[in-house]
Amino acid sequence: MRKWSKRAKALHYGAKKKPDYTRKQSYRFSRRALLVGAGQAGLFGLLGWRLHQLQIRDSSEYRLLSDENRIMMQLVAPARGAIYDRFGTVIAEDKENLRLLVLPAFCKSLPGTLDALSRVVRVSSATRSRVMRAARRQSGYYPVLVAEGLTWRQFALLNVLAPQIPGMRMDRAAYRQYHHGRPMGHVVGYVGMAGKAEVDVDPVMRLPGFRTGRAGVEKSFDPELRGSPGNIKYEVDVHGRVVRELDSKLSTKGRDLVLTIDHHLQTIALDRIKEHRVASVVLMDVLTGGVLAMASTPSFDPNAIAFNPDPKEWRNLARGKDNPMQNRAVRGQYPPGSTYKVITALAGLSAGVIDTKETMRCPGSYAVGRKRFRCWKAHGGGINVHEAIKQSCDVFFYETAKRMGIDYLASVSRLFGLGRTLDCGLAGEKPGLIPDVAWKRRALFDAWYTGETVISGIGQGFVLTTPLQLAVMTARVATGRAVLPKLVMSEEDQFEPWPLLEVDPAHLEVVRNGMIGVVNELRGTARRSALQIPGVQMAGKTGTSQVVSSRNEHKLSPYERETHALFVAFAPADKPRYAAVCVVEHGGGGSRAAAPVVRDVMTEALLRDTANRPAFVANNAHIVPAELASAEGTP
Amino acid sequence: MKMLFAETPAPKLNLGKKLWLLNWPFLLLVAGIALVGAGALYSVAGGTFEPWATRHVVRFCIGLALLFAVAFSDIRWWLNGAYPLYLAVLLLMLLVPFIGVESGGARRWLGVGELSFQPSEMMKITLILALARYYQWLPPEKIWRPDALIPPLLLIGVPVLLALAQPDLGTAALFAIIGGGLLFLAGVSWFYFGAAIVGVIVALPHAWEMLHDYQKERVLTFFDPERDPLGSGYHILQSKIAIGSGGLAGKGYMMGTQAQLNFLPEKHTDFIFTMFAEEMGFIGAVVLLALYLVALVFITYMALRCRSMFAKLVAAGVGLTLFAYVFINVAMVTGLVPVVGVPLPLVSYGGTSMLTMIIGLGFVLNAHVNRKVTFRRQEVRALW
Repeated sequence: MRKWSKRAKALHYGAKKKPDYTRKQSYRFSRRALLVGAGQAGLFGLLGWRLHQLQIRDSSEYRLLSDENRIMMQLVAPARGAIYDRFGTVIAEDKENLRLLVLPAFCKSLPGTLDALSRVVRVSSATRSRVMRAARRQSGYYPVLVAEGLTWRQFALLNVLAPQIPGMRMDRAAYRQYHHGRPMGHVVGYVGMAGKAEVDVDPVMRLPGFRTGRAGVEKSFDPELRGSPGNIKYEVDVHGRVVRELDSKLSTKGRDLVLTIDHHLQTIALDRIKEHRVASVVLMDVLTGGVLAMASTPSFDPNAIAFNPDPKEWRNLARGKDNPMQNRAVRGQYPPGSTYKVITALAGLSAGVIDTKETMRCPGSYAVGRKRFRCWKAHGGGINVHEAIKQSCDVFFYETAKRMGIDYLASVSRLFGLGRTLDCGLAGEKPGLIPDVAWKRRALFDAWYTGETVISGIGQGFVLTTPLQLAVMTARVATGRAVLPKLVMSEEDQFEPWPLLEVDPAHLEVVRNGMIGVVNELRGTARRSALQIPGVQMAGKTGTSQVVSSRNEHKLSPYERETHALFVAFAPADKPRYAAVCVVEHGGGGSRAAAPVVRDVMTEALLRDTANRPAFVANNAHIVPAELASAEGTP
Repeated sequence: MKMLFAETPAPKLNLGKKLWLLNWPFLLLVAGIALVGAGALYSVAGGTFEPWATRHVVRFCIGLALLFAVAFSDIRWWLNGAYPLYLAVLLLMLLVPFIGVESGGARRWLGVGELSFQPSEMMKITLILALARYYQWLPPEKIWRPDALIPPLLLIGVPVLLALAQPDLGTAALFAIIGGGLLFLAGVSWFYFGAAIVGVIVALPHAWEMLHDYQKERVLTFFDPERDPLGSGYHILQSKIAIGSGGLAGKGYMMGTQAQLNFLPEKHTDFIFTMFAEEMGFIGAVVLLALYLVALVFITYMALRCRSMFAKLVAAGVGLTLFAYVFINVAMVTGLVPVVGVPLPLVSYGGTSMLTMIIGLGFVLNAHVNRKVTFRRQEVRALW
């Protein structure tokens, strides 16, 4: 039946007849296109329903939220705490800074406004492009800084012109002024615009012209100095203009800091080392640990960096010869040379490998295996500890170091504050290096050799110290207490003595006597630098550290080949109060270049009696509300 | 009669005739939408023609010239050129990872001197042409066969994968929507679509693993924008606040507070509908959507009137693109779908997307002008 009908159909339409697929596809397209069209219309309906939901049903709720968006909060920058020296001389303070800003949204044309302003203040092409870029990037209602540090004359003139220059705004902010900038530069540091990472942490950094500490005490005490910002809540109209002030919270001025530094001594110290290319001096109070002077040459003036820095000058400072920005007192790492013998002697005595009576013979050199280590002169026989320190005999300490081994020497060194940062209150302090067996295996993947122990005994080889560490070492030897340095006076009035070190006082006495001998006895290495004050003696130790091995000497210039000169000292010898260190890079012999500097600084400190005079106390009791100084409409 | 229909010689069309055949009301509608865009950009800029509104109009005029050029060109060129064009653009897309310019964490742009363009934008049109070309060639009786489905799936799949690799989720989704829609319109069996949907549901968890972290984050905050109101949910939340606060009649032209006060991100590009809805309210937004819907009705009507499969599919494909753009954009700013970065065609500021859309509309008009044209089998077979 089915067969037949198919055949009949075939007969009827012709044998080759088949369904018209093209027609079918066309119809299918039409059907499906209409279906898709209906789907699209349905989805548009969904959008309409969504808009109805947002704009009609929940509109009042969103309107409320949008009104909240119209309240703007503006931060008010706090005044930065001042920095004083120990007797109350102002070192760093906030000064009024008259600024010129533009609000691009209110300018008829921004270039025109800038042209008008350039008749009163200098608007460089760099400033111009910066302002134009800022105006393009952000809303026209954010003020853009054009110039700061205006003179009163300019400020008055601009105020008179204000009605004719649309979009111009003036305000009074603060800038940082430094007094005694060059001597104090390394200690006090400077402020600068906040870095990008900082901005993300604290929104106050976004305020135009807000600055944070970038170096020195300004950086390490930045949280205290900064204070806390206030804020003002504004209601703004649709154009972002302020309608009225709703609420305000005053900003709190940062804490005032008093440094332990005496700017007078600091100036003298810097003047004294200026003759050298690179040198540093540290003077500290051995009882409190307060640093009285910390000078490093070459130095810089923070005023040149903190405010309107000249790019060329800045480049010179940052990349210039001898790195003026580096505070050598905490960042210079030098082999301590013979000054380290103080530690070697103490370690030898407490290890029991030598005693006060033992004498050695110094033939001028010392053999370890097949290698010979030289002494700076042949001292002959009968050298005991006292003589060895006094005359700085290398051979005595080669033998001492070899007997006790490097690990014991390292542990005593650490006891005296070497090989670690001391947190005196300056950012970027370097730790120096006190080597031991474990360190060498960890850092250099190598075994420790006896020859290295031997040269470590005279402060050469891997040993590295900073001048500040040497000052602390000297203070600890002088007092026998675990003195730590500090740069900022503590809030507490009561001073507690530092804890005693676990060292036999008799051994300390032997070493101190040796140091007195260095300055005051015949054949002492620093005899020429004895104090000229009657009845007061100084105790010290010279150091002359070799910089390069004799094998590499020919590669360097004569200056670079020269040895570092070091001198550590404390005074008065019988009742120590001050410890001082001087390091002169490539200065030659310690007794010639470094010791006279220490003598002069020490003399000045003793005559001024700096440590015993009452120190200044900053008045932080009442919190001064900072002046509300900011541009209108700053969000 | 039927045979006659298939073998009607192509009507000879000169320029005058073409001008007569052009769908002028549709063109007027398109220009109207672009003008709405210019008005919105004028308002976004705070009541100035600079920097966006003027350039928007200039670009639209340049686009209009291109539209005419495409609309009046011979449809046979495009039929012949569909595959080579597709391959050329695919090559450019392949080159992007190597010589492209990176911006915002993704390499999407090719730069030639001052000009830069996105090959993936051009791919939307060439993909339509290539698929239409394929179904013009495929004998209709073979359309049900599974092996006939392999070439078009390849044509769609390769650009989707390339877009995913860029990574550009929005573009990949657009390719998939356009390609799938064209397969459906061409007459591929319902069965395959059912199978594909089941396949997608199965593959979804695996795809989730492959997404970039920022894309995952976007999807997650989409489901709960309050999860992170100042972070990635910020855009959606602020956009909803702006739209919702517009109410029925809106805050008035140039009176929108949210957009003007910079609470909105990218308010001149992807989020322009937000600002428009805030200032013009529910009425304005629905009118704008209605304009798009009318344009889509026009396109569907033109597609239905075409005789050749190629012209039908090209017109319908561009219609799909326009719809996908508008729907995804508006759904995105109203918080219905995740933020994927799709502009509102003809209204958002931005050169490449505007050019793509307007050239696509040129193809719609081309198909419409050539609605009576049919291609003989041999003619189509001879190519490739």
